[in-house]
Amino acid sequence: MSATEFKDGLIKEIPNLRAFAASLSGSMQLADDLVQDTLLKAWGNSDKFEPGTSLRAWLFTILRNTYYSLYRKRGREVQDSEGTYAERMATHGNQESHLDLADFRKALAKLPEEQREVLIMVGATGLSYEETAEICGVAIGTIKSRVNRARTKLAELLSIGSLDDLGPDRQSAAAIQRVGSEIVGP
Amino acid sequence: MSDVDSGMAAPEGGDHDHEVMLDPRVQESIGRSLKAHYDDIVSAPVPDKFLVLLAQLEATEHRAAGVSTDERN
Repeated sequence: MSATEFKDGLIKEIPNLRAFAASLSGSMQLADDLVQDTLLKAWGNSDKFEPGTSLRAWLFTILRNTYYSLYRKRGREVQDSEGTYAERMATHGNQESHLDLADFRKALAKLPEEQREVLIMVGATGLSYEETAEICGVAIGTIKSRVNRARTKLAELLSIGSLDDLGPDRQSAAAIQRVGSEIVGP
Repeated sequence: MSDVDSGMAAPEGGDHDHEVMLDPRVQESIGRSLKAHYDDIVSAPVPDKFLVLLAQLEATEHRAAGVSTDERN
């Protein structure tokens, strides 16, 4: 693989790296620092990438290791002092979904890291359970169990444990939010 | 997603006792929100600095491969 091919591969993965990094760190600014570190490490270790395997899985492994070794503490500090990216990020979706998305991000940020990362990998990135297990260095059964617990916890945080809460016109949204904040607690 | 969900189901009845299985519609709702959150960031414009960085790395590599002797002086 030539340097140019490798570079083009990295460029294609940048949007996914940013989304995964933001999900891990809870901050768009930290996410971009993390992506930059990941790109530099990937470039320096390009000889270790096996062509034909998933570049995304390889890059996610680097990004995740970098996050846990260097960024995790900073992520917590940022979240404590500035609030999470959930409130700070501009959304690019339509206005109508804006509130729901912000609520969802707040709930996502409250999940334990080990649950949040696998839920994102399995539920949004297109990575398989097998690839996710390999990236995290645990068994597939562990990934499934974490995903299940993450979903249950999210449903609890978002107060959508019962089907009534999923109605198209969440008429009692205010009441649901009150209940939600009681569950979440201070 | 249905493959994923069937993969999530306990193979036999036993696990139902200690693992809460969410209603499929709740799972779908969470799945949609997850994608909305993730895709929102994926669809955002990529900052130029990343493209600049990669172009610099590539240029450095080409220079090293081509004219490395020039840089000894």
